[in-house]
Amino acid sequence: MERYDVIVVGAGPAGLGAAIEAGRAGARVLLLDEHDRPGGQLFKQIHKFFGSQAHHAGTRGYAIGQMLLQEAAEAGVTLGLGQRVWGIFPDGSVTSTDETTSTRRWGNYLVLATGAAERAVSFPGCTLPGVMTAGAAQTLVNLQHVLPGREAVMVGAGNVGLIVSYQLLQAGVQVQAVVEAMPEITGYAVHAGKVQRAGVPILTGHTVVQALGDSCLEGVELAALDAAGQPIPDSRRLLPCDTLCLAVGLNPRMELAAAAQCELVWSGPLGGLLPRHNARMETSNPHILVAGDLAGIEEASTALDEGRMAGLGCAYKLGLLDPAVYSRRCQEVQDRLDSLRQGPFGARRRTAKEEVFFL
Amino acid sequence: MQYLTEHPILPLEERPVVHITVDGCPIEARLGDTIAAALTTHGIRVFRHTAKRRQPRGIFCGIGQCTDCVMVVDGKPNVRTCVTRVREGMVIQTQEGNGGNCGTL
Amino acid sequence: MSEEIVCRCEEVTREEIVAAIRQGASTLDEVKQRTRAGMGFCQGRTCRRLVAQMLSVYYSLPIDRFLPGSIRVPITPIRLKLLAETAEGCVDEELPEGQL
Repeated sequence: MERYDVIVVGAGPAGLGAAIEAGRAGARVLLLDEHDRPGGQLFKQIHKFFGSQAHHAGTRGYAIGQMLLQEAAEAGVTLGLGQRVWGIFPDGSVTSTDETTSTRRWGNYLVLATGAAERAVSFPGCTLPGVMTAGAAQTLVNLQHVLPGREAVMVGAGNVGLIVSYQLLQAGVQVQAVVEAMPEITGYAVHAGKVQRAGVPILTGHTVVQALGDSCLEGVELAALDAAGQPIPDSRRLLPCDTLCLAVGLNPRMELAAAAQCELVWSGPLGGLLPRHNARMETSNPHILVAGDLAGIEEASTALDEGRMAGLGCAYKLGLLDPAVYSRRCQEVQDRLDSLRQGPFGARRRTAKEEVFFL
Repeated sequence: MQYLTEHPILPLEERPVVHITVDGCPIEARLGDTIAAALTTHGIRVFRHTAKRRQPRGIFCGIGQCTDCVMVVDGKPNVRTCVTRVREGMVIQTQEGNGGNCGTL
Repeated sequence: MSEEIVCRCEEVTREEIVAAIRQGASTLDEVKQRTRAGMGFCQGRTCRRLVAQMLSVYYSLPIDRFLPGSIRVPITPIRLKLLAETAEGCVDEELPEGQL
């Protein structure tokens, strides 16, 4: 029987953080991921991170990814790649498949770090090839080094929409416009500035009416929105493009947590339905901890530290850390998290995180 | 469409060529490409036609979640091309409907 | 204007979902039973929130009243044969070259 002290599901920054801390403390850790390479979305993040020195500020996402993989190897973490987790059971077992076989393994503690999935939006023509999530376009460019198209339109002026627009420009894609339904740009000004300086108009208060094309996308029809959020007929105009990227937010991937009977709560500022958890990343299920985007949509740097918190928690529960060390290490991580949750955007997330446990 | 040839940040290295066929036509891919990426470089954007409305579909989520990009790969239908990498000699077909009677992931 | 597909897997349109709600569907599961929205390969991952949003608008209730709907194991599609043959196993202890 294959039993581990800790099974971590998801090898993005949160899962790696958890696996590293638990492994360093001496726990037998298995880290499962459905993809054939670890790192989650870190390796497609080619922009420099913000924050302090402790958060690898100024380092690009993929370099941080390499560092974490090294740390996980040194911590003795067992890596199970290409393992799509399909089940989680009350006896602490997790079942996964590599598409050829299916295997069940037991863990004394489970850390769910399943991340997020991009939200979809529907409009006539939204299924045409060429309409894709911003993340799909980012994967093609930054990981596969392939251009998704020649002329793109971005939907959403949040951070994802702005960052991916800029990365498409860097790769040589002509970005025609960024379309945002809200009356103002919702992402950081620093990201918006880069896009605007490249000559890309950010059309706030606009929406996609429909995507047009025969067998593939050939253009989009845009319209301005009135005060009631309805498209203004006279404002309709056609923009030719072969790629339409959707950056309309992320949903925490809570399916596994839901199947494990973790209590779920709704938090608008954190992206939707997510497992109720406290500051130590403990859920309503005493054997399950959570971390990263599953516990509320934030950033890679917060995900990593939440993962570390969950990993420390597992180590403590396993008796591998003495209470004083555990509490000191948690405080260090919490201080870093607090410093990441500053400014108008961060403060809102910090408040939401503090409320999640009591919702 | 094409592979990136220059980029201000990303290191672009030469990767070995992998030969695959798509609907009977031989095409060249690069080692490490997902099927979806390889097809994109050749301007192929329609990966399947749906069962009910016979509508074209291609890449949508890009992370193996939505199953829009599935194709018939080496005779196996419903293979998620955005998370499956090319292999030498791989035979890829546009999927029509559910790709036959053996349709599960 | 072409139709607006909400459930990409089962090709269910906004119109069809609106019709189901008008006919009395008041939960994600009831919409699913009437239209197949959320019943396809992706198991509702892509459309769940869109359908919940439609229910929320129709009934003037917060969206979380309609989420998550029923989520059970297996949470992603798996061949029945594999499900039945699930072994108590171990992963390769040896990490692939260059992976770590």
